[in-house]
Amino acid sequence: MVAITHIGTYLPQKKINNLERTAEFSVDENFISEKIGVLNRRIKSQEQKASDLCVEAFQDLKSQTDINLDDIDCCVVVTQNPDYNLPHTSAIVHGLLDLPESCACFDISLGCSGYVYALAVLNAFMEVQGFRKGLLFTADAYSSILDESDKNTALIFGDGATVSLLENGKPGLSPICFDFGSKGKGYKNLINNGSLHMNGRMVFNFSATTVPKSIDAALGKAGLKKSNIVKWYLHQGSKYIVDTIAQRAELDPARVVFGMYDYGNTVSSSIPMLLKEDLIKMKSGEKYCLSGFGVGLSWATGIFEFK
Amino acid sequence: MKKVEIEQILDAIKATKVIEDVESLKHDVELSEQGIDSLDLSNMLLGMEDAFGIEIPDEDIDALLTINDILEYVNGKI
Repeated sequence: MVAITHIGTYLPQKKINNLERTAEFSVDENFISEKIGVLNRRIKSQEQKASDLCVEAFQDLKSQTDINLDDIDCCVVVTQNPDYNLPHTSAIVHGLLDLPESCACFDISLGCSGYVYALAVLNAFMEVQGFRKGLLFTADAYSSILDESDKNTALIFGDGATVSLLENGKPGLSPICFDFGSKGKGYKNLINNGSLHMNGRMVFNFSATTVPKSIDAALGKAGLKKSNIVKWYLHQGSKYIVDTIAQRAELDPARVVFGMYDYGNTVSSSIPMLLKEDLIKMKSGEKYCLSGFGVGLSWATGIFEFK
Repeated sequence: MKKVEIEQILDAIKATKVIEDVESLKHDVELSEQGIDSLDLSNMLLGMEDAFGIEIPDEDIDALLTINDILEYVNGKI
């Protein structure tokens, strides 16, 4: 069984303080802190590309655990803002980290659902191949596609990257089952067509109506009840959407994790950002739910057990 | 179909929990002037879609400023 055993993260030092932009966007401080839930957004330097963010996250991972690079069997990057259209960013990361030639590399083009999708893909891939160690990166720096004058997006998204060390047969957070889906007819509601465009209401409606059903479907497949779940890790789209999904899905608010105040919506990185600190506190037998949703419109919900 | 009454609109708003005291909302005053921001309005309109089985397209939103506007709109859609 493949498990998440360690997570490395990277947040750029540069911050934009949303509370200093209330007049610009005609919103009050309460809206920023209680509705958006983002006080600061992190912004990468112009020179930094997705691969650079991945390498920074890897340095953090390396500070937590000894990693012999020759043992890495696969390297996957989830991004929709790659260094180049070709080659794939995972190949660049492979080169920068000096990973072995035997290491399989590919990218996964997904947004906010990408981390959960990638965990499912890598679980199957590593199991079938008999791989022992894999690196799963998430890096989608939206600052490079944002229109900073767009109220719908400029207060929400921040830059960041993560890397999850996936190990076969080691104690960690392992998947039990997943629920996936897409509403491709809604793809224009969150799109980069020159710059990032988001129809906030339609993305809200999609998330608020789809995710509770996906949670129920995943729990049903696992044969579990909501009371069996220790914590819920929902994609951090905004505080309002996390709160709304929690309410509509009838989740215990005390078990719904929220933590994007100091960096913003980091897209596919939002769930592993939260998991990093909690992973070391998890106990054997505890079950968790991870749900990503957004660009596509796409969603993926996974039920996991620490064992 | 039977006409929707104002109480049903208020019940649908209550279900969304966007405001604690739904009864305090004035029906003929713009919601934005009563502390309902754009996110709350989206949530309220989703509540209408849920409660009355309708779809509210984006192009109709700008005309939905008050509770009375919403009541009239919902009755025109069902």
